Amino acid sequence: MTTTAADTTPRPPAGRAGYMPGEPGMWFFIIGDLFIFAVYFVAYMIYRGQQPELFLHSQQFLSPGIGVINTLILLTSSWCLALGTEAARKGNSAAAFRLLAATFAIGALFPLLKMVEWVPKLAAGHSPGENLFFMYYYVMTGLHLCHVLLGLVIIGFMLRHLRHRASPDIKFIEAGAVYWHMVDLLWLVLFALFYLMR
Amino acid sequence: MTEYLRNPLTGVWFALTAITIFSWWIGQGQGSAYQLDAAITVSVLVMAALKAVLVIAWFMEVRLGPAWLKRTTYGWASGLLVLLLLFYWLRV
Repeated sequence: MTTTAADTTPRPPAGRAGYMPGEPGMWFFIIGDLFIFAVYFVAYMIYRGQQPELFLHSQQFLSPGIGVINTLILLTSSWCLALGTEAARKGNSAAAFRLLAATFAIGALFPLLKMVEWVPKLAAGHSPGENLFFMYYYVMTGLHLCHVLLGLVIIGFMLRHLRHRASPDIKFIEAGAVYWHMVDLLWLVLFALFYLMR
Repeated sequence: MTEYLRNPLTGVWFALTAITIFSWWIGQGQGSAYQLDAAITVSVLVMAALKAVLVIAWFMEVRLGPAWLKRTTYGWASGLLVLLLLFYWLRV
C-alpha cells in the first residue's frame, strides 16, 4: 500500500462554500433515487392511512431490535467512511484504506442481519403476499438491500483503488462515499416508517 | 485514535446514535404500542428528518456544497417530512 503523494492529492476547499463532493453524475443519480424513494414513502403513508389497523397489527411482527441495530450499523459505517474520505484527501492512503475496510466490514453486517430478520418471518408465513403492509415492507426494504449490496461492491472498488494508487482519485472516493451515505439516509426513513411510527 | 475522537464527524455520529436510540425507545410506545399514536409518530418522524439533515450536511458534505445542492437535499428532507405528517394527519 502506498501512502505517498500527499502534496499532489486534490484537497477540498475547507471552509469555502460551493464545493461539490464527488461527480455531478453521481449526484444526479442520488437525487433521482431520493425522489423515487420519496414517492414510495408517501404512497406507503397514504395506504397506511386507509387501513391503519391492518398496518399497526402487522407491525407487531417486525423486529425493532434488529431494526435499531441495523440503523446503528449503517450510521457507524458512514462515520468510518466520512473519516476515510478526509484521510484520503490528506493523502493518508493507509489510514483511508483502514477506515474504508472498517466501513465495509461493518456495512456487511447489515445484509446478514436482514437475513436474520427476514427468514424467520417468511418461515412464520409473513410473506409479501400476506397483506399490503408486508408487500411494502419486503419491496421497500428489499430495494434498499439491493442498494446496500451495490454500495458494498463500490466500497470494494474504492479499497482496491486505495491499495493500488499512490495518489488516490479523490473524486472517485467522494462519489462512492456520497452513494453509501445516501443508502444510510434512506434507511433512516425506512426505520421510522416501518418500525417506529404508530 | 484521539484525532478521530476530536473530529467533528465523531460528534455528529454520536448525536445520530443518541437520537436513534432515543427514537427507538420512544417508538416502543411505553404501553401504547401498536395503537394509533400521533405523539409517537410525530416524534419519530421529526427525529428521522433531523438525522437525515445531519447525514446530508456532514457525511455527504452538502454544508460545503453549492446553493442548488443545499436547496435540493435539505428541501427533500423537509418536504418529505411535511408530506408524511400531512398524510398521517389526514387519517388520524
